[in-house]
Amino acid sequence: MRKKRRLSNLLIDGALVLLLLFWLFPLFMALLNSFKSNRELLTNVMALPSTLNLDNYSRTLGKMKYLRSFFNTVSLTAMGVGMMIIFSAMAGWRLCRTKSRLSSVIFGLFVFSMLIPFNSIMIPLYKVILALHIKNSLIGLAFVYAGFGVSMAIFLYHGFVKGIPFELEEAAAIDGSSKVRTFLSIILPMLKPVTVAIAISNVLWVWNDFLLPLITLSDNKKYTLLLSTNILFGQYSSDWSAILSALILSAIPVIVFYWIFQKQILKGIGEGALKG
Amino acid sequence: MTKKKRENISLLLFVAPAFSLYFIFKLYPAFSGIYYAMTSWNGLSRTKQFIGLGNFIEIYGDKHFWNAMLFTSKYVIVMLIAANVLALGLAVAIESRRKGKGIFRTLFCMPNMISMIIGGYMWNFIFTKVLYYLTDHWGMTFLDKSWIGNPRYAFIAIIIVSCWGIVGYLMIIYMAALQGVPAYLMEAASLDGASSWQNFWKVIFPMIRHSLTICIFWTLNSMFQVFDVIYSLTGGGPGRATQSVAINIYEEAFTGNIRYGYATAKSMVLFVIVFLITVVQLRLMKRRELEL
Repeated sequence: MRKKRRLSNLLIDGALVLLLLFWLFPLFMALLNSFKSNRELLTNVMALPSTLNLDNYSRTLGKMKYLRSFFNTVSLTAMGVGMMIIFSAMAGWRLCRTKSRLSSVIFGLFVFSMLIPFNSIMIPLYKVILALHIKNSLIGLAFVYAGFGVSMAIFLYHGFVKGIPFELEEAAAIDGSSKVRTFLSIILPMLKPVTVAIAISNVLWVWNDFLLPLITLSDNKKYTLLLSTNILFGQYSSDWSAILSALILSAIPVIVFYWIFQKQILKGIGEGALKG
Repeated sequence: MTKKKRENISLLLFVAPAFSLYFIFKLYPAFSGIYYAMTSWNGLSRTKQFIGLGNFIEIYGDKHFWNAMLFTSKYVIVMLIAANVLALGLAVAIESRRKGKGIFRTLFCMPNMISMIIGGYMWNFIFTKVLYYLTDHWGMTFLDKSWIGNPRYAFIAIIIVSCWGIVGYLMIIYMAALQGVPAYLMEAASLDGASSWQNFWKVIFPMIRHSLTICIFWTLNSMFQVFDVIYSLTGGGPGRATQSVAINIYEEAFTGNIRYGYATAKSMVLFVIVFLITVVQLRLMKRRELEL
């Protein structure tokens, strides 16, 4: 019996390791070959690179305007998620605390569209973006992301505020603190755990979103990392050493982010889904 | 001014920034889309004519759209089974480990963090370069397929890459549910002589059923919208053989035809179909959950 159990444990371990190797294979192959020259790559994709050659990287850094694309993506994500958080925290707090019909109607309006997928409103949204002249504007795009993200964020803040005792705000109000001050000095700090969760999941979403920037940013000075990578892939379709180094370069920021916040990210996925 | 009125006014002030963005970029497009779907609006002429149900009648006979719908449905069904079986299996296997739980979890979930545009291009390299090398030099002749060029193998390639992208995410949800199953239940069952197979299906599975509902719902909803992975892996080709509905709509609106009104009508049809399917799924699965 014990022997059998040991054997089955060994089999499961083996299967997991094999599958893991398969899982990491594309990342590993991309990394491995990103150091080779094209000729070296075409002769043998499986071999270790003969030298740790960084030419490809310096070549692609310039070609895809890496730094510019990187900062575009950072500022787009920061502005979009920043607005989303401030506006949703404000709204979620007051919507939870105000007990009136107006309040529940507004809350209902926010929640009801959560199931409408981006694809279904992409074209009318494009029309709005054209009309407001925010095509090719990163700030404009950040507004769009904020508008898309507030439903879910308000829903989460609304739920979280329910669990915060009302007495603190009441005491502050009696002391003559205005709502804005109460919000900034008492409520916002208490919302921190849910703010962190909302921020992390939305940073990943905005950072990795492709379709919206693809249809709204046509000026290459405004390109995000994904758009630059995509263009590079189109332009140098057989130059694999350039493409692979570009892929590694655009994957690195997200992997670093994941490595730093993995605990919160994984916890957020599990809890977020099971509570919903 | 009554207290209630004051409260409502302060509410409006606090809600205004969020609501205006939400209204401009989500609610208004959603409702104006219903109107645009009934116009001949395109990117070429300045005027758009109201044509009633004309677009929908055209969709009815649009072979490319229904091919894309058929392809997407096949994709969703295979993904529902493949991704969830794999994710649940991985979750159970990893949860049963004494060591290395954390590192397995972290690494299996990693592809989910990377955009499928990046992941898709990496796999593109595997399918178009690496597998041929393995065929020629390592004798792995079973890999010698036209992975991107042949519709049948392109479908398999898309499934593999999509699983690679989402299994980690689903696995985390299943693991969170498994951790909620009290250990004494499993111990009691194995003391009573239940095999691990029985233990899983009779004790654990009923307790994590709600996570199955959630994962199926999530897979249904997001896989019907599949875009990135196909865009980067096959571009919808060869020809239109691996075109998903989202790719078809994108093509209709933004490349070539620029028929916005018609594309909007297509996106309405997609929305209604996905909405109906998910409502039915939630109803059915919630009922099953209650029965237990």
